[in-house]
Amino acid sequence: MVDLVYFQLLSAALFVIGLYGVMARRSAVLIVMSIELMLNAVNINLIAAASHMDGTGKFVNFDGQLIAIFIITVAAAEVGLALAIILRMFRNRSTVNVDEINLMKW
Amino acid sequence: MEWAWLIPVFSFAAAPMIVLFGRFLPGKGAILSILAIGGGFAVFWFVLDSWLGANTGTSGCFTSENTGMLTCDYERSWFNAGIVGAVGSVTLNWGILIDPLTIAMLGLVTFVALMVQVYSLAYMKGDPRFGWYFAVHSLFAAAMLTLVLADNFLLLYVAWELVGICSYLLIGFWHERPAAREAAKKAFIVTRIGDVGLLIGILLIWREVGTFSMLDAFEAVRSGAMSQGVTTAAAILLFLGAMGKSAQVPFHVWLPDAMEGPTPVSALIHAATMVIAGVFLVARTFPLFEAYDADPLIVVAIVGLVTALGAATIALVATDLKRILAYSTISHLGLMMLSLGAFGYTAAIFHLMAHGFSKALLFLGAGSVLHSTEFQETGEMGGLRKVMPVTAIVFSIGALSLGGIPILAGFWSKDEILVAVNDHRNVTFIVLTLFTALLSALYMGRAMFLVFFGPLKDQNSHAHESPILMTLPMVLLGVLALGFGLISFNWPGSFGGIGTFVFFDPLRGHGESFHFEVWLGALSIVMAVAAFFAAYQVYVRKSISLDGARARNSGFLKIVENKYYFDEVYQWIIDRVVLVFSRFIAFFDRAIVNDIIVNGPADLTRKLGILIRVHVTGHVYTYTLAMAIGSVGLGIFVWLRVV
Repeated sequence: MVDLVYFQLLSAALFVIGLYGVMARRSAVLIVMSIELMLNAVNINLIAAASHMDGTGKFVNFDGQLIAIFIITVAAAEVGLALAIILRMFRNRSTVNVDEINLMKW
Repeated sequence: MEWAWLIPVFSFAAAPMIVLFGRFLPGKGAILSILAIGGGFAVFWFVLDSWLGANTGTSGCFTSENTGMLTCDYERSWFNAGIVGAVGSVTLNWGILIDPLTIAMLGLVTFVALMVQVYSLAYMKGDPRFGWYFAVHSLFAAAMLTLVLADNFLLLYVAWELVGICSYLLIGFWHERPAAREAAKKAFIVTRIGDVGLLIGILLIWREVGTFSMLDAFEAVRSGAMSQGVTTAAAILLFLGAMGKSAQVPFHVWLPDAMEGPTPVSALIHAATMVIAGVFLVARTFPLFEAYDADPLIVVAIVGLVTALGAATIALVATDLKRILAYSTISHLGLMMLSLGAFGYTAAIFHLMAHGFSKALLFLGAGSVLHSTEFQETGEMGGLRKVMPVTAIVFSIGALSLGGIPILAGFWSKDEILVAVNDHRNVTFIVLTLFTALLSALYMGRAMFLVFFGPLKDQNSHAHESPILMTLPMVLLGVLALGFGLISFNWPGSFGGIGTFVFFDPLRGHGESFHFEVWLGALSIVMAVAAFFAAYQVYVRKSISLDGARARNSGFLKIVENKYYFDEVYQWIIDRVVLVFSRFIAFFDRAIVNDIIVNGPADLTRKLGILIRVHVTGHVYTYTLAMAIGSVGLGIFVWLRVV
């Protein structure tokens, strides 16, 4: 049985990598991928926590899995929407560089 | 008689038709205008005839207890303001009021307008806006006819303003010329100042009586429902409007400038429309003026006398032919007002008509001279009787008539005025009126001799008599100027002279025939003849030189030649008071209303926006970073709280 803290370290590492990607990347597609990374980091965290509820590795509570599946569903919908927006953005502006998408600023 | 409303309606209908379809019609639609006013003139005769045949039994007719004249009133409902029958609601009627005053005015206006329009056919020939000229002419005549027919103050006011706007359009007819534009604006604005008084007066009467009907207002005055103070105030306010329209001092400044319009327009304005509207208004609302102690009439008399005397002196020194005639008009309007102010109701209306025919004739004659010689200064003319004999004869008839030579119309009417003033006002008035009459003969003689007598100048040798379309109206008017005065007598078998036709005598209900003060009549004949003789000696024979007198009185002469500096004073007031005040208002509008009240909140919003917009960088990473820092901060905060 692997200790819970390793899962949490992995999850934290993935989350921070995703956060870095969102902040540092210019391409909208890569930003969406980074967001997915962050979401999945959260999933790992939830599943690991759920399986270590009683310290034996047996599932006694399904709350963690429930939320993880819910997140996957929402993430799928969100990716579909995000890709559609990016597609339209490319059609209109011929770019997916978020630095050039600045009409809403002052 | 109730069909009298057709008279203005003909011309009202003609005006838009000329504008819309004029170019498809012969004479660019001028034919419509002339047919309309000619039709009005024909209907006038039917109205006169049926009035003469009417009595108190005729439908709509009764002997007015306010004027004493047989009056006929026909009205229809116009519109309701508010809920019918409820408190505070107003029902307005429009209707026509026919009494001898109206009939006299109808005849004058339709006849002079018809003559002027026929004359204009030739005078305005070739003008690029020929059709428009006749359209406005029609509207002008229609408005004036509505004014004299109106039986309520509201309709009268509407017509009054229509007359004003038409005179504006016609004075500024040649609006390419700056002087014409300025004159038109001046006429409109100066008369507007008086109109404010008229409007307030009408509203005051409405507030007291609760209706716009003139007959109800007169009735309220007679029964005492309208108190003395209110009646006097209303009469003075109405007179203010009349002063503006009739060019009484101090509102007279617009009339001399109004000659910038085409000359036939001057003839119309000076004789049949516009300026006589003021005299008509005072005559129409005479019960208001005459009620109680007749205090307003003293004001009317004084204003009239000052106007008559002042304008006569200016006419004596003016050199521009049309300007001489314009000041002569002002002077005679003053005489009419003076006559009304001296209870000379009949005399005023009689003089209004006699002056109308004579002055229309004089202006048409002046137009004929200008048409032929292209000059307007009397100094450039002289001896024109040799080249334009018809014009010379009819102009002389007009001048002699206004100068007060017997047999001609102006003599009788002026004599009536003298009698009225002598009977009802003190000796100062009669002396000054006689002096005005003397001046009137002098300046008329001067104009006539300077233009038509003496040697013919070479520059005018090409001048020629005007075409028949211009001379015929002049001759017809000349016949009237010559013979119109004879209606003042009680001829056997006739209706008893104008004195029993138009009169103001509510107590007895009948007028008096013409009467003649022998000493006044003799004096005025002697003065008129002497004045014309003196003018002949000075301006034709040149046996009397005025140079010495001019030199001795150069100071006074300068004042008169500058028209008593009225224009300069007004200009000064406008520059120093009105414009300064306007600038202050403009500054207030710009600085307070615009900059602070309207733009202020907008400015504040914008400045706040500038302050808080700095976080909207447009870069995703800033937002993300802010979000991350916020999340971490929130997490730390919650963690610290929990632990």
